[in-house]
Amino acid sequence: MLAYTLRRIAQLVPVLLVLTVAVFGFVEALPGSVLDTLIGTEGGDDAETREILAKEYGLDRPVHERYAKWLVRTVQFDFGNSLVTRRPISLELMSRIPATVYLATVGIMLSMMIAIPLGTLAAVRRNSAIDYTAQVTSLAGISIPEFWFAILCVLLFSLYLGWLPSSGYVSPFEDFWGSLQFLILPAAAIGFRQAAFTTRLTRSSMLDELSKEYVDTARALGHSERKVIFKYTLRNAMIPTITISGLQLANLLGGTVVLESIFAWPGIGRAIFEAILQRDYPLIQAGVLVLGCIVVVMNLLVDLTYRLLNPRVKFA
Amino acid sequence: MSELEADKLVDAAIVWRAPPAPPRSRRFATALSNAWHELRKSRTASIGAVMLVLLFGACIGTPWLATHDPIKQNYRERLQPPSEKHLLGTDRLGRDIYSRLLYGGRRLVTIAVVAVALSLVVGVPFGVLTGYFGGLADTIGMRIVDGLLAFPGLLLYLLFVTVAQAWKLEGVMTDLVLVSALALAGMPEKARLARGSVLAEKQKEYVEASRAVGDSSVSIALSQILPNIISPLIVTSTVRLGLVILIVAALSFLGLGTPPPTPDWGSDLSAARDYMETHPLIAAFPGLAICYTVLAFNLFGDGLRDILDPRLAER
Repeated sequence: MLAYTLRRIAQLVPVLLVLTVAVFGFVEALPGSVLDTLIGTEGGDDAETREILAKEYGLDRPVHERYAKWLVRTVQFDFGNSLVTRRPISLELMSRIPATVYLATVGIMLSMMIAIPLGTLAAVRRNSAIDYTAQVTSLAGISIPEFWFAILCVLLFSLYLGWLPSSGYVSPFEDFWGSLQFLILPAAAIGFRQAAFTTRLTRSSMLDELSKEYVDTARALGHSERKVIFKYTLRNAMIPTITISGLQLANLLGGTVVLESIFAWPGIGRAIFEAILQRDYPLIQAGVLVLGCIVVVMNLLVDLTYRLLNPRVKFA
Repeated sequence: MSELEADKLVDAAIVWRAPPAPPRSRRFATALSNAWHELRKSRTASIGAVMLVLLFGACIGTPWLATHDPIKQNYRERLQPPSEKHLLGTDRLGRDIYSRLLYGGRRLVTIAVVAVALSLVVGVPFGVLTGYFGGLADTIGMRIVDGLLAFPGLLLYLLFVTVAQAWKLEGVMTDLVLVSALALAGMPEKARLARGSVLAEKQKEYVEASRAVGDSSVSIALSQILPNIISPLIVTSTVRLGLVILIVAALSFLGLGTPPPTPDWGSDLSAARDYMETHPLIAAFPGLAICYTVLAFNLFGDGLRDILDPRLAER
């Protein structure tokens, strides 16, 4: 296990390098690059200002030199200042991460709370009304765009019924119950869509397990059906489900941009989105890099957990 | 190799070269009727197929089906309910929603199809060749694929779209940038799948047979193995098409797609949000259109998987 973990960590190095090159190359690919944006915010577009700024930001050096310099600073979490707010980018991003983690975690928990019972029940009572309901609902969940679902929820629960606020955010550490009010709709939108995938997976892996021989043995030994399902099959069937939920969580951390902007949720996805609208390129660069790293590391953790849960998988 | 084995190989080679092909037109007709016959085995697949035929029909027939110019504004007829003149009513600028849906769908489906096709064209030969040759090519190839897979999809599109905006690209060029980002993101999945199937196929007798009759490696990999691994590729591509449509719609919903007034389901939906309380129908139609399209691809893909992989269908 240790050797495998170390090897997986070593494998991260090229992946992270590709990520940094892509993110660095992104700013290089912009026309006129940072200099034009800088001059736009500083004012005074003349050759002298250009030269001074170019020197200050090291833009007169060749590409590979700038990349190396940028990489060294980046590793130390020094991303420079935002072009719009003039505050350090690392601070801007750090203040945004908790909201995204909060939303994504609750969304996934909600999805598991829907998907695991529904998927299990659908598998146990195969071809019953519950099974068809589960299948149709999950097909709908996969096909309905989450932004549309979110809008429909806002329409129903905020505008018509007036039960919940349509958008906004309160930190759970300041006012826990208050923050739940704002959390319910976006988390439900996430939960519904992710549950669609997880339900299907739970159902098929549960069916897989139920057809195995050890289930017959357990039944032959006279164990109750409840015990067979909850003690033996469900545990095995949960392994893929938990893995997928972990991967979904990793992807959500990098992909709640749409919901965050609908619900005015001050997460990191919205920070990047706003930066795109304001052409705050250093912030986009740092934001994408940080999210990319989070996703890569999360994927590794999920993979390792999967191997811990399921020792039958060889450490290849 | 024993004599018996050698005989078997020769036999296999003969069988493999065997029947003379019927003319192309008849082969196509037979293939089509065979396909329909197979499709009817799965109800989901046939429903999906019918929905897709309608969808593609609407996309191809858009210029004839549309009743109005999709970008022509008419302030006297804004926010109208569905009527005989405007089948699905009009939006905030008095544009005909039905015609906008048709033109928007045509664009969206084209983008998705081209993107997925491109990811197949790049990804499949990549996976087949790395898988077939193995060794160093395989190691390097798969590292590249891993790196791409690790990149969170949406962020990749955001980067591409930002660059496109910064270059002030317009019209078809923005679409091309988006298509290449989508293709790049879809490529690793196809390459992996192709590689895995090739590793399994490589061991089989017919491959050895074609090598025995002296075909070159590349030709074996592309002309012998590829046709045999095509079914999982078709299934994943169909499902991927649905996903790509969701992504493109989400990007234009955020305002990062084609700028107005181009008809676009995502941005039309976003614009309709301001009138949601008073005219909920305007937001309903583009949303329903997206659902229909994605559902069609998902149903068809699911059904196909059941047909092509009977082992899974038993579940």
